[in-house]
Amino acid sequence: MPEFDALPEEVNELVESFIATPVVGDTNFGITQYTFFMFIAVAIMAVVLFVFKKKQAASLVPQGRFVNGVEYVIEFCRKDLVEDMLPKTWRQHFPFIATVFFFILINNLMGVIPGMHPGTGTMGVTVALALISFIYFIYVGVKKEGGWGYIKSLKPKGVPFPIDWVVWLIELFSTFLRLVTLSVRLFCNMFAGHVVMGTFAILASLFISRFAQGVTLEAFTGAGISLLWLLVLIAIYAVEMLVAVIQAYVFSLLSAVYIQLAEEDE
Amino acid sequence: MGVIGYGIGVIGAGLGIGIAAYGATTSMARQPEVQGRLFTVFILASAFVEALALIGFVVALLG
Repeated sequence: MPEFDALPEEVNELVESFIATPVVGDTNFGITQYTFFMFIAVAIMAVVLFVFKKKQAASLVPQGRFVNGVEYVIEFCRKDLVEDMLPKTWRQHFPFIATVFFFILINNLMGVIPGMHPGTGTMGVTVALALISFIYFIYVGVKKEGGWGYIKSLKPKGVPFPIDWVVWLIELFSTFLRLVTLSVRLFCNMFAGHVVMGTFAILASLFISRFAQGVTLEAFTGAGISLLWLLVLIAIYAVEMLVAVIQAYVFSLLSAVYIQLAEEDE
Repeated sequence: MGVIGYGIGVIGAGLGIGIAAYGATTSMARQPEVQGRLFTVFILASAFVEALALIGFVVALLG
């Protein structure tokens, strides 16, 4: 089928369209298409939360789908994310983890809407998020044990002399590796998901374009195959929505785990 | 070549997620009361495994 010969070129074009290009200014000081949608996501988040706060204060008992829905998500975030991981100090860390969770969730879900880009679909935003999380859990550890104490607390106790410093080195390395894995996981999930969705959309459009040569039997088989790709696209779309939620969950869950590790007594 | 490499690389990730799901389901069948905790751990483990497969995917596309 000639459609498959045209596919690599189209996919390359698609991947090139995912490279950050500035909308305003340049790539150093400007707004790329990703940061543009990130600001929209932040605006949506602010509006939703302020309206929620106002509606919630209107009556003592939460009323209506909107208030109850938002409360359900916040409750889920509090119980499953923060309280499970940090049973003692969850009150202190809940604002940070909830902020990260909602920011990533809304950004990811915005990316699923056709024609929009997720704010988390570029390396810059995810590295910034990972850096915030990294600095936060280092800060928690340093506040608890002091600067030198935190570095020393990575060394396991009860291990004989030369081995414990080797373990310490590995622990130190893996602490910095968290920065890479947090950011790369989020970025790759968004990027890969959108490339896969785009590929199936391109396949569907390539097969339907047989009609351009005239209404023949071949064109109708092409339309049938195109419908098949469309069904696959819908399935991938559903998976992508699931991934958007799960990645927000995983990012904030890992942040909570790292805070717990920094806080625990050894 | 990159696509073949990605195919080989994803075998490991597929096995990893499969083993994680197997362990989660068998332990849920034995002890249904720990379902909530297990689900969290399972999602965490799959996220770790999945990241490797995704790095392969992006490298295959870009390289």
